[in-house]
Amino acid sequence: MMYSAGIDVGSTQTKGIILDENRNIVARALIMTGANVTRAGDNCFKELLKVSNVPREDVAYIVGTGYGRYKVTFGDAQITEISCHARGACYLFPNTKTVIDMGGQDAKGIRVGPDGDVKDFVMNDKCAAGTGRFLGSAAEALLLNLDDIGPIALKAKNPVRLTTVCTVFVESDIMSYLAQNKKVEDILGGVHSAIAARTVSLIRRVGIEPEVTFTGGVSRNIGMVSALEEKLGMKINVSPDSHYVGALGAAIFALERAVKAKGELAQATA
Amino acid sequence: MAESAKSIYQGQMHLLQKDMMGRYFARVTRAAEQGDGKAVYMLISGNPVELVQAFDMVPVYPEINALQLAVKKAALPFIQKAEEIGYSMDNCAYVKADVGLFLGDRKTPFATIPLPSLILCNYVGCNVYLQWFEHLAEYCDGEIYNLDIPFLRDPSGKPSKADIEYVVKQLEEVIVAMERITGKDLDWAKLKRIVEFSAETGELWSKVKSLTKHRPTPFDAYFDSVTMMAPLYCLRGTEDGLKFFQTALKEMEEKVEMGQGPLPEERFRFVIEGPPPWPFLRTFRDLFSKWGAVAVASTYSTVGGLWEFGFKHDPNRPLESIAEHMLEWNVTNRNFLQRYAQIRRYIEEWNADALVIHSVKSCRLFSAGQGDMREYFTKDLNVPTLLIESDIEDPRYFSEAQIKNRIDAFFESLEHKKIVREAKAAAGGAA
Amino acid sequence: MNIDNVIAEYREALEEAPLERVARWKASHPTTKAVGCYPVYSPVELIHAAGMLPVGILGGGNRLEIAHADSRFQSFVCSIVKSTLELAMTDRIGFLDGIVFHSICDPARNLASVYKRNFPKLMVEYIHFPQNMTSPATVDYLTAEYHRLLESYTELSGIKPDDEALRRSTRIYNEQRKLLRDLYALRATQPQNLSTVETYVLTRIATLMPPEEHISILKEALAAIRLRDERPKDRIKVVLEGSFCEQPPLELIEGLEAAGCYILDDDFLTGWRFFTEDIPTDGDPVRNLAESYLRRSVYSGVKHDTRERKSKHLIDKVKETGAAAVVILAAKFCEPALFDYALYRQALEKAGIPHLYLEFEEKMWIFDKSRTEVETFVESMLFD
Repeated sequence: MMYSAGIDVGSTQTKGIILDENRNIVARALIMTGANVTRAGDNCFKELLKVSNVPREDVAYIVGTGYGRYKVTFGDAQITEISCHARGACYLFPNTKTVIDMGGQDAKGIRVGPDGDVKDFVMNDKCAAGTGRFLGSAAEALLLNLDDIGPIALKAKNPVRLTTVCTVFVESDIMSYLAQNKKVEDILGGVHSAIAARTVSLIRRVGIEPEVTFTGGVSRNIGMVSALEEKLGMKINVSPDSHYVGALGAAIFALERAVKAKGELAQATA
Repeated sequence: MAESAKSIYQGQMHLLQKDMMGRYFARVTRAAEQGDGKAVYMLISGNPVELVQAFDMVPVYPEINALQLAVKKAALPFIQKAEEIGYSMDNCAYVKADVGLFLGDRKTPFATIPLPSLILCNYVGCNVYLQWFEHLAEYCDGEIYNLDIPFLRDPSGKPSKADIEYVVKQLEEVIVAMERITGKDLDWAKLKRIVEFSAETGELWSKVKSLTKHRPTPFDAYFDSVTMMAPLYCLRGTEDGLKFFQTALKEMEEKVEMGQGPLPEERFRFVIEGPPPWPFLRTFRDLFSKWGAVAVASTYSTVGGLWEFGFKHDPNRPLESIAEHMLEWNVTNRNFLQRYAQIRRYIEEWNADALVIHSVKSCRLFSAGQGDMREYFTKDLNVPTLLIESDIEDPRYFSEAQIKNRIDAFFESLEHKKIVREAKAAAGGAA
Repeated sequence: MNIDNVIAEYREALEEAPLERVARWKASHPTTKAVGCYPVYSPVELIHAAGMLPVGILGGGNRLEIAHADSRFQSFVCSIVKSTLELAMTDRIGFLDGIVFHSICDPARNLASVYKRNFPKLMVEYIHFPQNMTSPATVDYLTAEYHRLLESYTELSGIKPDDEALRRSTRIYNEQRKLLRDLYALRATQPQNLSTVETYVLTRIATLMPPEEHISILKEALAAIRLRDERPKDRIKVVLEGSFCEQPPLELIEGLEAAGCYILDDDFLTGWRFFTEDIPTDGDPVRNLAESYLRRSVYSGVKHDTRERKSKHLIDKVKETGAAAVVILAAKFCEPALFDYALYRQALEKAGIPHLYLEFEEKMWIFDKSRTEVETFVESMLFD
C-alpha cells in the first residue's frame, strides 16, 4: 500500500493527515506548535506514523503547508494553505464552490473549481477586524470563555447594532452597551453579526456560490456558523474535521504527486 | 453641569428649505424618469452652478446624493455593494455610496438620479473628485470634462494671472460643450442676471453668517448652517435661492433682536473644522448641546464658497468672477495654512472659546494633517482644541462611546476653567 | 567592475540609509544646493539647470521608526506621508535646501503645508499639475507654472539658467531616461537575466546622485547584463502595477519573484522614467517640458486623462509584454492606487486576465502573508 502525508504547521497548532492510495484518511495528529517550528513538523509526522502504524518508507510523498511550511524539512514540496484548504474542503464536501476560512489572525475567502482548484481568493488585511481575534476581544470584555460565546450568541433575541468593527474600539462599545443594561446574549449576537457582515462583504469579492464550506478554528463556533448562514441566506457546510482541512488538502496534493511519479516511473521502466 | 434641553431650530427657514429642496429633487427625478431636463453632474467645492443655470440644465451633485443617503441611514448597503466589486475599506465612502447607487437603478428615498448629459468634474482642491468622476464616467459612459482649478500655492495666497486665464479658457470650453449638448447658444444677458443673483445671494449668506458673532448666536453655525448649504448650491443663481436667503436673514436678525439662540443657555462658543458625521448628525449635535456648546463658525460651510471675507460675484465679468470663486473663494482650494488662518480669524472675530476638529476618514482633503492643526492651535495660539474621529458617510466608523468620552472630558475641563475664572472675577469684583 | 557587487553595494545602501549617501555628497560639494522631490513626477531638469542637485525623497523605508509624525497625521494616512515628515522632524534631511511637493493626492498636498509651517528655513514648493489633458490652454498654463517654479529655484540657487542650460539638462535627463527604458526593455524580454530587484536598485539610485554619475553606472550595468545567459525558470510572467509613490521594501519585491513570478514591467519610480520618448531639445525648453507632460508621459494613477482609460493602458501593457497576469501592489491607504484598483479589477476580469491584489506598507518587516498570497496565485495558475 502507498501512502501520502500532509503537515499543516500553523501558528498555534500543527496538524497532520495520512491518506492511503484510495484517498481514505488513515491517521490524524494534532500537536501544539510551540517555539520550535521545525521540531513541531517533525513530531507531528512521528505521531502520525505511530498512530497509523504505517512504515516511514511507505509514505511516498509529503507536502508541508501553513505558515511554517518551509520548516517541514523532510517534506517533498510546500504548498500554501489556501490551495490546500480549497482541496481539503472539496474532499469533505465535493460540491463546494466557496470556502470561508476563519482563523485567529486572518479570514480568507476562496472560490474553487470542480477539482478543488483555486479560482480566486481574498484575505483580510492586517487589521484584525472580522477575525477570531475580534471575538477574543469581545469575550475578554465580557469576562467569558472564548468557547462559550458562540452558544450564548445563539440565544440573542434583539442583537445590538455594533457600529464599529475595530478590535480596539469593540471593548468600549461593549462597555457602553453593558452600561445600558443590554443583555449579554444580545451584545454577543451583535458581535457575531458584525463579524459575519464584514467577512461576507470581504468574500463577496471572489463571488459567493453555493455550496459554501466553512473551515478554520472559528468554524467550531456555532454562533458564527449561524450568523454567517443568516448573512449569506444559505446553509453552510461544517465538518468535524474542519481544523484538519489544510493538512488534508496537503495530503491530497501529496497523493496526486506520488501517483504521478509512480506512473512516470512505470512508463520509464516499461 | 447644566443638562440643556435638546434643541433644533424649526423656523420659517427650515420649512422653506424643505419645500424648495423637495421641488429641486422633484426636478431631478423628472429629469431621470421623464427625460425632462439635461443633468450636469458637478462637485460642491467652488461649483460653477451659474453656467448650468444659464443653460436651464439640472445641477446634480453626487456629494449631496451621498450625504442624503447617509442622513437617511441608507448608505451602508450601497457602500458594501461598492466594496464587493473591489473598492477598498479605505476609500472615501461618499464615492462608494454613490458608486453603489450607480450599480443599481439610482433610486433613493429622496429622488431618482438621472444619467448625466455632462460630467463636469470641477476639480477644486479634492483629488478624490477626479477619481470619483472618472469612475462615474466609466459606469454611465457619459461625456466628461475635467475643469482643472489650480490649487492656491503662491505665498500671497492668491491665484496667478495664468491661473485665472487658464480657468476662464476652460469655462469657455464648457460653454461650447453645453451649447452643443443643449442645442442652444449661451444667452449672455441671462448669465449676467444669474451671476447677479449669485452676487446678492452670496452677500445675504455672508450677512447671515456674521450674525453668529452675536451672543447668544442666533443659530448654530454648523448644524443649522448645513440646512442653508443645499439651497446655496442647488438654487444659487435663481430667484428661489435669493428668496430663501432673504427669508433666512430676516428671521435670524429677528432672533438676534430677541436675544434668542438655539440652546436655552449658551455656555460655550466653538469653531468647528471638518465635515459632519451625516449618519449620526442628531446624536452628534446632542453631545454638544448637553454642554450648552454651540458652533459660531465652521469651515465646512465654506466648501461651496467663502463669502464672509468679502467675495462677491461680479455680473460685469461673469466668467472671470466665476473663475475667482472657484480658484480663491472656497475653503477646499485654499492650502492647509490658509485654513489655519481662516479658523484663527473665526476664533478671534467670532469670539470662540474653543476649536473642535472633527476628523473624518473619508475626506483626507479635510483631515490629513489635522494633528498639526491641533498642535498649532494648542501650542502656538493656546486655543483649547478637541480632535475627534469618525466619518461623514460610513456608519462603521462612528463609535459613540469613544466620541462621547472625549467631548465630555473636553467640556468638563472647559467648564472647570470657566468656574475658576468666574470665581476669580467675582472675588476680584468684591475686593 | 563586477556588476553583481555594484548592485549589492547599492542595495545595502538603499536598505540601510539611502539619504546618507546624499548627505555625504552634499558635504563634499558645499556650494551646490539640493532640492528634494516628493513622488511621483517632478520636472528635475529645472532644478538641475539652476545648478542644484535633485534628490528623490521617497519616504523612510522599513528602518525608520515613526515616533513624531503620527501625532500630525492620522492612522488612516499612508506611511510615506508620515515617514517623510518624520525625516525632517528627526533632522535626517538637513542637507536639503528646498523640497517640492506635487498635486498627487490630498495628504501629500497637506504635507506640503505642514512642512512649510514646521520647517521655515526650507524652501517648500508645490506644483499643481494640470488635470485637463484636452484643453489647448493647458500647455500655456503648465509652461507658466514651470516658469514660476524656475524663478523660485533661481532665487534659491542664485543661478539663472538660460535656454541653453535648460536644453543641456534636458539632454542629460533624456539620456538617463533612455537608458532606463533600455534596462526595462531588457528585463521584459529576458527576465531570467535581470531580476526586478536589480532593475529597481539600478533605477532607484537615480534619485540619489547627479544624473551624469548615474548614466555612467547604467551604461556599464547594461553592458554587463547583456552578457548574462541564464536559463529561464518555470515561473508565471506578470505586470506589476500600483506602487508609483510609496516604496515597497526590497525584500518584498524580491519575494514576489522568488514566489514564482517574473515581473516583466512595473510602475516603480515611474516619475523618474516618466516619458515614452525624448523631450525635444529644440525651441523653447520650458514649453517642451510642459508639452511633454501632456503628450509623451506614461499613464499614471495620479494623472487623469479623460481621453483614454487607465485600464486600457494596463491591458495593453499586458498584451505588449506577453504577460499572463497582473499583480496589483498598492500601498496601504493610498487612495489613488486603491481607486484605480476598483477599475482595473473590473476591466481585467472582463478581459479574462487573472490578477492578484496585494497591499504593502514601506515599514513592513514580515512578508509571510504576501508570500503566501503570491504562491497561492502562482499555484492557481500553474496547477490548472
